[in-house]
Parts: sequence; C-alpha cells; structure tokens
Amino acid sequence: MPKQLPLQFEFQSNQNFNTFYPGGNEEIINHLQHIFNNNEQQIFLWGEAGTGKTHLLQAICQESNQQNKTSFYFSFRKTLPNSEMLNGLENFDLVCLDNIELIAQNPDWEQAFFNFFNLHRDNNKQLIISAHCPPKYLPFQLPDLKTRMGWGLTLKIAPLTDEQLLNALIYKANDLGFEIPVNVGRFLIAHYAKDLPSIWMLLDKINHATLAAKRKLTIPFLKQIMSEQNTP
Amino acid sequence: MSSIWNTCLSKLENEIPSGDFSTWIRPLQAVEKGDTLKLLAPNRFIIDHVKQNFISKIEDAVYEFSNGTLLLQFEIGSKKTPPLIQPKQVRKSAEKDKPKRSTFLNRAFTFDNFVEGKSNQLAKAASIQVSENIGKAYNPLFIYGSSGLGKTHLMHAIGNAAIVKNPSVNVVYLHSEKFVQDMVQAFQHNTINAFKDYYRSIDILLIDDIQFLAGKERSQEEFFHTFNNLLDKKHQVVLTCDKYPKEIDGLEDRLKSRFGWGLPVAIEPPDLETRAAILIQKAALANVDLAQDVAFFIGKRIPSNVRDLEGALRRVLANAQFTGKEITVDFTKEALHDLISLQDKLVNINNIQKTVAEYFKIRVADLSSKSRRQSITRPRQIAMCLARELTSHSFPEIGDSFGGRDHTTVINACKRIKALRDSDIKVSEDYQNLLRTLTQ
Repeated sequence: MPKQLPLQFEFQSNQNFNTFYPGGNEEIINHLQHIFNNNEQQIFLWGEAGTGKTHLLQAICQESNQQNKTSFYFSFRKTLPNSEMLNGLENFDLVCLDNIELIAQNPDWEQAFFNFFNLHRDNNKQLIISAHCPPKYLPFQLPDLKTRMGWGLTLKIAPLTDEQLLNALIYKANDLGFEIPVNVGRFLIAHYAKDLPSIWMLLDKINHATLAAKRKLTIPFLKQIMSEQNTP
Repeated sequence: MSSIWNTCLSKLENEIPSGDFSTWIRPLQAVEKGDTLKLLAPNRFIIDHVKQNFISKIEDAVYEFSNGTLLLQFEIGSKKTPPLIQPKQVRKSAEKDKPKRSTFLNRAFTFDNFVEGKSNQLAKAASIQVSENIGKAYNPLFIYGSSGLGKTHLMHAIGNAAIVKNPSVNVVYLHSEKFVQDMVQAFQHNTINAFKDYYRSIDILLIDDIQFLAGKERSQEEFFHTFNNLLDKKHQVVLTCDKYPKEIDGLEDRLKSRFGWGLPVAIEPPDLETRAAILIQKAALANVDLAQDVAFFIGKRIPSNVRDLEGALRRVLANAQFTGKEITVDFTKEALHDLISLQDKLVNINNIQKTVAEYFKIRVADLSSKSRRQSITRPRQIAMCLARELTSHSFPEIGDSFGGRDHTTVINACKRIKALRDSDIKVSEDYQNLLRTLTQ
C-alpha cells in the first residue's frame, strides 16, 4: 500500500505555560506567571541551550496579551539586525529579549541596548532577558550595561533530569495527539537526543511518520524512522 | 484594540511561527478609523520587515474579516507614546502660564532613602546643597564613580527635592544619549532653534552618564553652548560620569575644564556596613523586615555594587515569597546558592593574591615570603584584608594561604588597613581600585 502523505506543516507547539513541562523549575514559572502582579521590573533568565527559555518568554508574551499589556519578543541570532530595531520599544509594557549574549562585543548594539534599557526602565516598564550564562559572565564591553544586567531578579533555569526528560517527552507527544510508550521514550533519549530542541524536532518527525504509516510507535519502528531520516 | 484586528490575530497566530508572531505581529497596535485599519509599529525597521515577510498573510486576514471594506496602512507610532516636544510648547514655556513639562524624574529616588556611608557622604551633602541653592552652591555639580553606586539616585533626589521646595521649578532629567538623539532629530526636522530654546529654558538640567558624549563632536559643541548658557543665567547643571572630568577620553578639553569648574565629587563603592544598611532599607521598601545578620551576610558576599546587591535581595525576597519560608541566614545561603558559588569562582584567595601582586608590581611569591620590607608588607596586608572582605575564609585559613602565618597576623593586618584607609588617601585609593577590579 502506498504511504499516505500527511499534511505538511511546520512543527509548532503552542508555547504557553500549560504546554511547558516544569521539571524542577516551578519557582521560575511561578515568578514569570505573576510578573504583572508582583511588578518585578526585570527578570534575567539564564540556563543552557535547550532548557526552555524561549518557550517561557513566548508564554509570558501570550499572557501579556490576555492582560491587555503590549509586549515585544525578539530572539537574537548570530547575525544581528540593525540596532534601530529597538527604537520605540521603550513604550512597550513588556519586552522580552532572548539570547542577549549575542549582542556582547558589538559596540553599536551594546550602546543601543543600553539606551533602550534606560528609557524603558525610566518608563517603569518590564523587561525579561535570557542568556546562556549569568549576568556576571556576559562579555559586555560597557561596564554600565553589565551592572544593569544583575539589577533585577536573576533566575537559573535547571536542565531536566533523564526521568523528567522522559516525562516531558510523553507529555509533549500527548499534546501532539500520539502516544510514546515509556520504553520507546527511554530508547529515544538514550540513543538519539538529550536536549529539548532536538527532541522536539524528532517528535515532529515521529508524529509525521506515525500519521503516515498509521502505526503505533515501537522501538523497531523508531529505528526505521531514524534510519530513513539518515538516508539522503 | 480593533476587534477586526483581534480576529485577524487569532488567525495569524496559527499561520505564523510563534517566535515570529511575538516579534513582528503581536506588537503591532491597530487603530480602526473609517475605512482604514492603521497598524502602528515602534519603528521603520519593524514595518519594513513585516511588509517584506508577512504582508500577504496580513492582507488576506484583514480582507477576509472586514469583507474587503478596510484599507490597510502602516505607520510608526504607539497608542501610548507621549507627545514629543512641540516647538510651540517650548515657546510657551518661557511665558508665565507655562504648561507642565515632563521632568522624567523617578519619584522613588529621594535623599531620605539614599543610604549614606563614608563612600558617598560628600556626594550626598553636595547634592543636598545644590537642591537647596539652585545655581548658587556648586555649578556644575559633577558626580563621578563606577557604575551602580548611586549617582543616578542622587541626581533624581536633587530634582525631587528642588520640586518639593518650589513646585514651579523646571527640572529635567535625561541620559546624555537622549540629548544626542534630540539634537539629531532637531536637525532632521529642522527644529534646532526649538531644541536650543527647550534646553536653555531649564532651571535644573540633570544629565546622566556624560561620558557617552565622548567622540561625538557635534553633540559636544551643542552641549557646550547649552551648558554655558545655563551657567551664565545661573541655572543649575548636574552631571554624572564614570570618571573624573580630566580622564574622559574623546571629550574636548574646554568641556573637561568646564566640568571641573563647580565641584567634582566622587562616589566610592559602599563599605560593608553601608551595604547592609542599603539592603535593610531596600527590603523595607518591599515591606520586609530584613534581619541584621542576613543583611550582613548578603553584603559580605556581594561586595561589588548596589545593583548586584539589589539583584541578590530580589532573589531572596522572591524565593521567600514562593516558599513562604522565613528569611534566615541559612535560607539566604540556599536562595543565593548560584550567585554565591559564582562569586566564589570569580574571587578566591589565589586571584586576590595575583591581582594585588600585579597591581603593586611585585611577585605573587613575595606575598607569602618572610620579607618585611614595607613595599611587600603593605600589599600583603591589603591582600589579607581583601581576602577577609571578599571570601568566606576564616582568619587561620587566610594566614595559611600567606606562607603559613598566624591568624593574629591576619587580624592585625585587617585592623591596620582599616585604620590606614581612614588616614592615608593612597592606601584608601589602592584598596578601592583593587576592590573594584576584583568585583567587577
């Protein structure tokens, strides 16, 4: 029987607080969820890549919308856009900047971010910044910027343990509408991916494959999916 | 918010990846007027990006939900943006019934809640003088010191106190970069005269971080004239900077010299007692009665600047709020576990010895040697004192690390340096410089 082609759509999990598997990070989620009530002016969220910082920042932006607050989210990549992008953002109730370490050592961006930071703070607005390291280790050239990074509440997001990773995997698969048996989940983590972004990408592939083959996921089937993925 | 746009958003949210949606789509603010749906974006860059990447999706959605009745338009702006300085308004400000202008002052910064210690008492006293005798006491008042020590707080406090004394006084606080931006905009919009009138009509001009004017010749030129004009009219100028006027690279000599005309006054990093007092006061602002031992514990572990202190305190308070536990020293240790272990990695006896040896141009081995020459003993005493202040090692442990010296030697070294810091400017400066190097 020919393989049925599933509809092509980008992996797009709804990144809100309900779809975030907390692991040991309940406190962080609590602080972020209550940011508008607690009036925490600045939160610096740091942790290794793939621990869910982006998901949390997205979640808080969604939340802001429901609370009638204006919000802006930006994730820095290696190629930086024009720093004019920050103009006017000082009027936003909440600004979330992901991967802030990527602007370090770029004089234009450091200066622009410093100016934005002062204006935004003077306007009494709220800022959430994420980075892969704590504020002290950010290699900013502007010392004024460095001291400002540690000003607010600094929170470290802890990576998930293997057991938590497994639970997260099962949780996320359920969210996508299919089931991953525990033994298959363990096998996947042990052999194919240990960080969340790679796991989510794999889940997307598995989702497509199970949908196309109309089969339940087993270890042999997983191996087959992975070998198909690796063949050009 | 336009209800049609809200419906469009729900559709677009399913069509556009969530990262892009939060960056480019959600921040757009919609205003529906007649047959036009105006989408406001904070700047040109965002409008261009949206047009390049999402325009057809947006147009489709708007067409669908407005049944083709709405025309789409993009504009820079925000529903909440305060109006820019209008030239007409500036002219009016010279008149008696001048409209109230924004001071950009933060009311939370006052003299009452500025914690005084040895490191900042002169700067505070001078600031109070200035707020009570506008344009007469010290003009300009030039407050300098490293980042995060309270310069901005004093500036706002001057403005707030002056307004309490005379509500009609025209105070403006701004960051030096804002001055530059305003000037550039004035040139772009051909409103340079309005710009000049505006800045020259201010009774108290508070400009923060003046070092950012360095290398910007046109801005310096304009600032020079504004500055002279204000001083001639006996209006007050207060400036802050990260260094002494003469040390600012890229600043014209005439500005450097004028900045030194009034009173340049330094703010040093706060000592332990002041750090503890700052913490207790900041906690009180959050309605928390912070115990002395907890304040001293945090103050000892976070020796760098007031912002870091505030950050550490926020962590403790947030953790206490979440867990509902009482704030004790043990609780604080646990709450600040990450921060403290980082600090320990950054500052330990080895790198204190290395930094001190480099600073005094001696060998690290000299610090542990038996030498009793003053050129060695003084740096050794300073290093011991820094080790005591910046690490959690006991007196005997510190003694061990300095060539197996007795703990009483370390105690004496700490006492000696404490006394010398009060009586000998050179020792005091050396100590502060080292403290800054080690904790930044």
